[in-house]
Amino acid sequence: MKRKILMTSLMLASYATIYAQKVVRYDLYVKDTIVNFSGKEKRAIAVNGQIPMPTLEFTEGDTAEIVLHNLLDENTALHWHGVQLPNKEDGVPFLTQMPTPPGAIHTYRFPVKQNGTYWYHSHAGMQEQIGMYGSLVFHKRKNDPTFREGIDDLPTVPVILSEWTDLKPENVQRMLASGSDWFGIKKNAVQSYVEAIDGGHFKTKVTNEWKRMEAMDVSDVYYEKFLINGQNQSQLPEFKPGSRVRLRVSNGGASSYFWLTYGGGKITVVANDGNDVVPVEVDRLIIGVSETYDIVVNIPAENTSYELLATAEDRSGSASLFLGDGVRQLQARLPKLNYFKGMKMMNGMMKMNGDMNDMGMDMSLQQMDMNTVMYPEVQAQPQAAGEHAGHSGHAMGANGPVTLNHAMLKAPHPTTLDSEAPVRELKFTLTGNMNRYVWSMDNRVLSEEDKIPVKKGEILRITLYNNSMMRHPMHLHGFDFRVINGQGAYAPLKNVLDMMPMETNIIEFEANTEGDWFFHCHILYHMMAGMNRVFAVGEYDNPLLHDKEMAYRMLQHESNMWHFMAQNDVATNGNDGMAMVQNARWGVGVEWAVGYNAMHGYEVETHVGRYIGRMQWLMPFVGFDYRYRKMGIDEHEKNMFGQVNKKDSRRQLSVGVLYTLPMLIDFQAEVYHDGIVRLQLMREDIPVTRRLRAGFMVNTDKEYMGELRYIITRNIGIRTHYDSDMGFGVGLSLNY
Amino acid sequence: MKSFIFWMAAGIMLLSTTYAQPKYEATETVLISGNCEMCKKAIETAGTVKHEASVDWNQETGAATLTYNPSKTNTDEILQRIALAGYDNAQYLAPDEAYASLPECCQYNREFKTNTPATHAHTPHHTSQAAATDHSTHQAATDVSQHEKEGQFQAIFNHYFNLKDALVKSDGTLAASSAARFLDALGAVKMDGLTSAEHETWMNGKESIMTVTERIAGTDDIARQRTHFASLSEQVYLLMKASGTAQPVYYQRCPMFNNSKGAHWLSLNQDIQNPYYGAQMLTCGNTVETVK
Repeated sequence: MKRKILMTSLMLASYATIYAQKVVRYDLYVKDTIVNFSGKEKRAIAVNGQIPMPTLEFTEGDTAEIVLHNLLDENTALHWHGVQLPNKEDGVPFLTQMPTPPGAIHTYRFPVKQNGTYWYHSHAGMQEQIGMYGSLVFHKRKNDPTFREGIDDLPTVPVILSEWTDLKPENVQRMLASGSDWFGIKKNAVQSYVEAIDGGHFKTKVTNEWKRMEAMDVSDVYYEKFLINGQNQSQLPEFKPGSRVRLRVSNGGASSYFWLTYGGGKITVVANDGNDVVPVEVDRLIIGVSETYDIVVNIPAENTSYELLATAEDRSGSASLFLGDGVRQLQARLPKLNYFKGMKMMNGMMKMNGDMNDMGMDMSLQQMDMNTVMYPEVQAQPQAAGEHAGHSGHAMGANGPVTLNHAMLKAPHPTTLDSEAPVRELKFTLTGNMNRYVWSMDNRVLSEEDKIPVKKGEILRITLYNNSMMRHPMHLHGFDFRVINGQGAYAPLKNVLDMMPMETNIIEFEANTEGDWFFHCHILYHMMAGMNRVFAVGEYDNPLLHDKEMAYRMLQHESNMWHFMAQNDVATNGNDGMAMVQNARWGVGVEWAVGYNAMHGYEVETHVGRYIGRMQWLMPFVGFDYRYRKMGIDEHEKNMFGQVNKKDSRRQLSVGVLYTLPMLIDFQAEVYHDGIVRLQLMREDIPVTRRLRAGFMVNTDKEYMGELRYIITRNIGIRTHYDSDMGFGVGLSLNY
Repeated sequence: MKSFIFWMAAGIMLLSTTYAQPKYEATETVLISGNCEMCKKAIETAGTVKHEASVDWNQETGAATLTYNPSKTNTDEILQRIALAGYDNAQYLAPDEAYASLPECCQYNREFKTNTPATHAHTPHHTSQAAATDHSTHQAATDVSQHEKEGQFQAIFNHYFNLKDALVKSDGTLAASSAARFLDALGAVKMDGLTSAEHETWMNGKESIMTVTERIAGTDDIARQRTHFASLSEQVYLLMKASGTAQPVYYQRCPMFNNSKGAHWLSLNQDIQNPYYGAQMLTCGNTVETVK
């Protein structure tokens, strides 16, 4: 035993002499700033005066010391994405540390045990969206046995992708949760009835609404600008013709996937999420939110600069980086998506109860990209190729663009785990619904779940199934996991896995570092909607958290915030509107109608309800109605059941249910404390054209309403309606 | 004092807004490659944005006058749009795809572009592929005669593969004519040449094979053809199992077809070429069995 210790200390000593441990320190000053990416001046956060944050470079074996100076008026914290470190350095406020308050200084210090491309960002609130992201590079040691000649010795550029919205990210989240389709209007992705009919897709649109789906896009948010290293277009002229360049690409966007294509030829993928992979040559790849890819490209000709094009998956915009000096060789733009083809595909994939068809392992690893039905360029390919391809199908395949998928990733060395370690199987179904923008795992948001206890040294083998219509980049803190992808012992190591709709994938890792590790969807707005879990490995005593339970409750609270929305219509015949606060499960709403005279009277209905089920189509509620008016027009005292309803002055408690019927019609059944029953059908926001919405309401009190609304801006519309109580009216519709 | 500065500033702002009214326009002349009247129209359309920029291109000299509002745009943006439409200029080169899709008369001499070994290699790429294809077609033809000796069904199988390829291309007309030829071949099968296993499978499946093939031949609606092709593939698979094949045949499955019930097809190629969705999901599917 003693000898062993001696040997070890000897080895350690020699290690220390060869790689003299070096402390590399960075000071980061986080401060409010004003930026102008879109033509408008907006608030953002800059670190050391720049967006993105400065690139931090270390060599494997160094000790990283990063001092965060919070000069903001709000809390902050920094997370080191993909880095294996002690839990207290992981930078998740309320989970691994308390947030760093305004004016405070916090030092992160950890040994650098990896090499590769990583990145870092704020894990506090939504600061990542407004500037707090940056590249983090761990260099290989010169004599590292895994050093690859022709790759690791190339000139290298850190490239961080991101996006910019002029809206405050908190407001973006609120708009998504309130079902606003403003982003769809901005992106021209409303998929309205008139557009459907024009394109011959009427049946597809009806089926889609019959299945209670609202128009969906491949991404949720409209962005004014897309950025590479903080710029929409930029050039690096220093590269000579004939040379090869390694780009360390991180996707620091809050919610955008990017297609990468290159004007100078093929792209060679050499690493992913910080881990080397066997080089693979492709025409294009998609980089999921928070993934990193190292790619190598050529500078083929003299006097030419070649475009690296990063296109948002929804094709609403792109950013460019030109490599080399001279005239700029453009890369062809990716054409607009064909939404109705995607809608038709979704119709086929979704069952009436809102579940996706589970394809088991038939769909995994991005090999079947459902979205390809929407890509016009892929469909255009075979026709051009078909001319000289004869009837040999093989030539056709060879002519199409080669797209990277996860099955093509192979580790250069075996990545097998300790075969002795106990294995624990877990399964998570990724769930959620677009209509209320609730995102969850196993239909539970973080605020409804405790931490998942894990024994230290256990292997977790996790099966993930995406039963939702959106893709989710699932990120695990503190560990690399193996992705079971048919490469056997050479399964690639990743820390983010893109889960496409309907995919099933298996990941595994050895939980050998103690602490509370976050596991979540890296789309910022999905994370803030509750799509998170925590693995609590071992019994970790975190010196930065004096009350862990209290802190966890704060974390839960932050991912299930209340959202406020309101709408009011000022019309010639009266004033009506509604206001609502809601979170993942509860909704409290008030509707009002105020007439301009006693005959029209006024009416206030209040409801408190809970949304039930994964799709949240059912909401039982309790309510209170108050109404006053002098009988005037539309004198129905009896309802369709013959019950007499004293409309002139009513104070009523009620219970009822709201249920979303096919075609997105809200059915409401309500019983008042005097025994009166009211049944009602209502549909609002029928997308007639890109900006025109229709709606109607009928109920058993023999009341009815029809409306048309034209959306002018995010907050203003013109509305005309006919109402059985109030008659015909035209007015201004304001909404928040 | 402070308020004085404020009023000064306010005054200046007011003045500048009043005097900014007559729109300030910048003009610049640049060279843009192009040949003809059609090029002129394409270049000018691509460059022009209402209230922002306009382009006037001279066919004789190749010089374009860009007139634009510098507070809204710049020459870079204008020239980039023009290059993306297919026209090289001093700042930007058109993507090769964009240049290639110009009408023939517009395919100007690309003087701005420096040719490279890489781009040279790219062009013969197509030709070599075409040659390879010719070769394989040729081989397929010899194969047919070979297989005729080996087994009667081989001819049927080859017609099946032709039909499958037509569906991969989403070409309904071609699929219909392939199916018609397939039908002729089916009629020509001689019972006496069959082994007993072949005979049994043939007798069981013959009728449905012929009906389904007839239906495919009778329409050029690709959706209908594909539905029939799914049941045809099941029958041909059984035949193939009974008779064996000269070369390995891959029995492949598309899990999504027919509302995710899935459907199979047979292919000589291990690479997936999905006949149920064609280009939409060309490489969607997997091989479930290799028939030999």
